[in-house]
Amino acid sequence: MMTFYINKAACISPQQTFGEIDIEQLRASVDNKLKAIEPKYPHFTSNALRRMSKSTRMGAGAALPLLADAVQPDGIIIGTQVSGMEENGKFLNQIIEYKEDMLTPGNFVQGTPNTISSQIALVSNNKNYNITHVHRGLAFENAVIDTAMLLNENPQNTYLLGGVDEICANNYILDTLAGWFKKEDCTNRNLYKSNTNGSLSGEGAAMFCVSNNKVNTLAQLKGITTIHSTDVAVVKAHINHFLLESLPQGEKIDLLLSGENGDKRALEYYTSCEQLMDSETPIARFKHLCGEYPTASSFALWLACSFVSGQLTVPEHMIKKPGAALVYKNILIYNTHKTAQHSCMLVSVPE
Amino acid sequence: MGVISAIGNSVDENHAALVNGKTGVIKGGGNFPSRYSGILPFGEVLMGTGALKTTLDVTEYGVTRTTLLALHAFKEAIVDAGLTGAQLSSEDTALVGATTVGGMCLTDELYANTHGDADNIEYVRSYDYASVNLFIQNRYNINGVVNTMNTACSSSANAIMYGCRLIKNGLANRVIVGGADALAKFTVNGFNALRILSDEACAPFDQNRKGLNLGEGAAFLVLEKEADVAGKKVYATVSGFGNANDAYHPSSLSPEGDGPYLAMKNALSSASLNPADIDFINAHGTGTENNDEVESRAMLKVFSTQPNFASTKGFTGHTLGAASAIEAVYSILNIYRQELYPNLNFRQPIAGIGLQPVEAYKSAEIKHVMSNSFGFGGNCTSLIFSKV
Repeated sequence: MMTFYINKAACISPQQTFGEIDIEQLRASVDNKLKAIEPKYPHFTSNALRRMSKSTRMGAGAALPLLADAVQPDGIIIGTQVSGMEENGKFLNQIIEYKEDMLTPGNFVQGTPNTISSQIALVSNNKNYNITHVHRGLAFENAVIDTAMLLNENPQNTYLLGGVDEICANNYILDTLAGWFKKEDCTNRNLYKSNTNGSLSGEGAAMFCVSNNKVNTLAQLKGITTIHSTDVAVVKAHINHFLLESLPQGEKIDLLLSGENGDKRALEYYTSCEQLMDSETPIARFKHLCGEYPTASSFALWLACSFVSGQLTVPEHMIKKPGAALVYKNILIYNTHKTAQHSCMLVSVPE
Repeated sequence: MGVISAIGNSVDENHAALVNGKTGVIKGGGNFPSRYSGILPFGEVLMGTGALKTTLDVTEYGVTRTTLLALHAFKEAIVDAGLTGAQLSSEDTALVGATTVGGMCLTDELYANTHGDADNIEYVRSYDYASVNLFIQNRYNINGVVNTMNTACSSSANAIMYGCRLIKNGLANRVIVGGADALAKFTVNGFNALRILSDEACAPFDQNRKGLNLGEGAAFLVLEKEADVAGKKVYATVSGFGNANDAYHPSSLSPEGDGPYLAMKNALSSASLNPADIDFINAHGTGTENNDEVESRAMLKVFSTQPNFASTKGFTGHTLGAASAIEAVYSILNIYRQELYPNLNFRQPIAGIGLQPVEAYKSAEIKHVMSNSFGFGGNCTSLIFSKV
């Protein structure tokens, strides 16, 4: 039941993924951060853009072109954890610095995380279902589950699904204090050679038009699962169960897209997932492109759609373990956020 | 069901206050430090954060007041439903909670942490929205789908809707749904900057209403699918839900009220009910100029004969991410007890509209109750609860 077709996709990320797409050339991280390349946003005036948070700009900027020549989607479903937090941070600073007096409400209003989905609705005059999931490292996965349920309930409909997060000053500090971002200098080229705690901070917005319509489609999501555990054996068993359940008989995983992120504490989870593949399965990694953020799995889903549809080939810098396959029929995305929340998505050539 | 709010720490205490028309909105409770404590009226839970920790036996590091309120209501709900530890940790049990404040109730601590005070980092792990449900999940070893939603003031209505749909789609057999928010400098100053906080007790649907009062609290409800409830206490069924976007303005509703109208319409159609079937509406009724007028007009558009309606915000204040869950409990009490509770502080109908909410406690035959919630970003959700 947890399956649908991805008809269109767009992605704004720290790499050249929007407009003229080129992921062969790896854009380097700066100061341990991978900041998104923001395009021109033709739907907004410069005044409107100044008021919007970066997440809202990126989210609406990636979504609106997808909606341009399409029928109005029957719902907008967004997963995000930190969008709005930059605005909230500014408002918290106002509260302290001006001692709770004479504050301006703009940051407060823009700080609610459903600003992205509501801004897309506002610009496209969409009065349909409009939801924002904020469950940290599974925010995007819950948006995917929501969308799959909607398509089960309303098989004729189409939906806009997205994952968005931004690097926010306060969160970057808090997550660095908590040990989730590297304290020493590290570049994305050397991310996987690092043997310390933490990763590089990243951001982006990936948007998908999805339906049960398999004509002119990029990819099929064949399954999704979420896992809550820090126990490597439990996670491994759950992934194995997911593969048995969602991979059609006689088929195999042609590419593992791994969320490995240079954090030595997370490595054992990725290694145990790799052990479930056969010796031929190629493995590619994506976090050196997008950085670590709670909805990074949405970037991986965009990549997987591009690979199974043949729009892109896997660049050399992503490959951890090469394989002979030239065509990827089934791609497994495995990702963990902060080692307690895990997810798998199976992305396949549409059938 | 479990609930904690300004009018009581349990379903029974809340019920007694509703029956007696006893408000929880007061000036100066003092559980959160703000220059507006004692000056503006708030719906405060009169149990301090320390007392909540003791009562709930929470000794872990970094647990916020939002989480404690959630845990308090969650615990009452699972005891009331008689859920066992095995049921809680079974893979077909889901948890869906909502919050709009999350760890941001710790304004000053967060500020200190992000401005170089690395010594006091107790709360760095709990600043986000998900921290509330992740704490509950870990404490009760919940292994099914777990989710957190934030669509501002309609958040927990959407959590209830998502929970129902998890069951409907076979992704869970039982779901614990709800929401929690603590009073915080963050929201008090946000709504104050928007100039929609009243300096008096709020007066929903009154011509001379001056704005809303903020409140705090939490509520959780245990939902099970029909096939599994034989022999168990059943308060009511969730018979319909609808969400729509007003697509008009980031923080106020359109004069036409398209979002509220569509949410109510969608809920009715999902419940396969006609407007005339609704016996009572638990209105969003915040007491702001904008909401009450638009909600009134939208109700008049949906219902050719206006059903009885009232807002309970005069009892609890507006509890934001907890509001729809708390009001779901009240709507279910309307059905389970066959009675209506008053809309406090109402004196004069809004000019040009003329709607009059329920003003006194009374018994009534109640089969279907609609509960409305509208939030920032034009997010509008209506739920319908029905008698079994």
